Amino acid sequence: MDFLSYDFMQRAMAAGLVTAVVCPLIGMFVVVRRQALIGDGLGHIAFAGVMGGYLLGVYPTAAAAVVTMLGAGAIEFIRRRHAHHADTALAIMFYTGIALAVIFSSMARTPGTNLLGVLFGSILTVTVQDLGLIAVCGLVVAATVVALFKRLVLVSFDEEIAHVAGINTAFVSILISVLTALVVVVGMRVVGILLVSALMVVPVAAAHLLRRGFLATMALAVAFSVLAVAGGLTLSFYLDIAPGGTIVMTAVAVYLAVLLAAGRGRMTGAARSCSGAAVPAGDKQGDQ
Amino acid sequence: MYDIKLTDVTYSYGDNTVLRGLSMAVDSGEFIAVVGPNGAGKSTMLKLVAGLLRPDCGQVTVAGRTADEARAAGDIGYIPQNFARNIADFPATVAEIVALGLVSGRKKNISRDAARHIVAHMLAMVDLEEYRDRRVDELSGGQQQRVMVARALAGNPRLLLLDEPTSGVDFDTSTKIYGLLGDLNKSLGITVVTVSHDIDKVTRWASRVACINKGLCFLGDCAEFRRVHAREPHLLYYSG
Repeated sequence: MDFLSYDFMQRAMAAGLVTAVVCPLIGMFVVVRRQALIGDGLGHIAFAGVMGGYLLGVYPTAAAAVVTMLGAGAIEFIRRRHAHHADTALAIMFYTGIALAVIFSSMARTPGTNLLGVLFGSILTVTVQDLGLIAVCGLVVAATVVALFKRLVLVSFDEEIAHVAGINTAFVSILISVLTALVVVVGMRVVGILLVSALMVVPVAAAHLLRRGFLATMALAVAFSVLAVAGGLTLSFYLDIAPGGTIVMTAVAVYLAVLLAAGRGRMTGAARSCSGAAVPAGDKQGDQ
Repeated sequence: MYDIKLTDVTYSYGDNTVLRGLSMAVDSGEFIAVVGPNGAGKSTMLKLVAGLLRPDCGQVTVAGRTADEARAAGDIGYIPQNFARNIADFPATVAEIVALGLVSGRKKNISRDAARHIVAHMLAMVDLEEYRDRRVDELSGGQQQRVMVARALAGNPRLLLLDEPTSGVDFDTSTKIYGLLGDLNKSLGITVVTVSHDIDKVTRWASRVACINKGLCFLGDCAEFRRVHAREPHLLYYSG
């Protein structure tokens, strides 16, 4: 662990671990609502925010946070008002985000290295100021998920049932979108806006393969995500390769390992059933 | 006392008027079967009572309050027709789904122990105790419907609204589901309103039948409905 003796690596690990926890926390809701690609879309909008920040001379991460949350609110508004054309409208919005980013970056004469850092992450250059913002955003996301956990689950399960149960589903849906935007901003420095969605989706997809309940799946997703970020950052240091890509590839490797293990587990279970081994009474389904 | 009262209710989807001047009342503790042809406005009527839709004109009251007030008070348990689509691949155990019935309404501020006790009681009521920790998407259609009934009843609502609870399940399972609803109606005294196409089975358990086709065609006891339906079915489905 001698690599953690460097200040920049300590900051990188701290920022990475906050990101590792909050990405799957909100990713669970995004995935079960079948909005797995919304993180990608919000990343495009965040890109415009960062470049706008450079242009106006304000702190780019804070500019990205404001623009991405506004974009998330707009996306949810379009989804609720124009459900039938929502995907087209959202695609137009995402293209607008990336087009504005390109225009802003040319107007601000942003150096190419800064652009690459935003697109693919620059976790090793995380400053104390960045770490503070990442920690505050992460705390807001985690506290909101804990406080409203059951409401978030019910709205993600069925909006009609949640509405009849007296929940303000419009507010909760907008909240999920805004929290997703905050997570995009948190992950932007760690893996970049092009890969931040991967940390929201891949650990959750791996946890889904183990077929547990909601809370257990969420806990597994966080564990896989922490493993991917800590493992990926360590690997990238010793192999001297890009940390963002290494973190995401570690997450993909975890997913593949779980896929193999889950598949082997199912095959073993099926073989045991076929060979006539005792099946617990509770496993037999009465009226199937 | 009326649990549900619709007074001269009209509702349209764009230019398509699906309910016109519908008036009917459901007494507390009744089991009402809502029948009628496809597109007659049965599900729309249920959604108006549940507060998911607002009437273009007319009035809907639930236990003397507006549907919105009744929702906020936790008076309504609702099971939509297409819940199976949401259950498919949803990562939750049976107990977790039933506990969602305690998120709001009358039981929202109870302790964790009390919530656990209610979930166990609800699962016993629908005979699914042994499936408590199973993934809900691993259960059969009939078992999933019973989980949804347990979830809807966990919050102790005044009335239970179901939209075609037996669609997609086999003959025996649909008989069991209506039997369960009939038993719950009698034992808990809860008002049950269910939309159904399964006239033979639902009328074995319901106290009255409401036949809807844009407006109300028939509201009366089940034996009378079966007689009229067998003799002249087209009269019940006449769109007035």
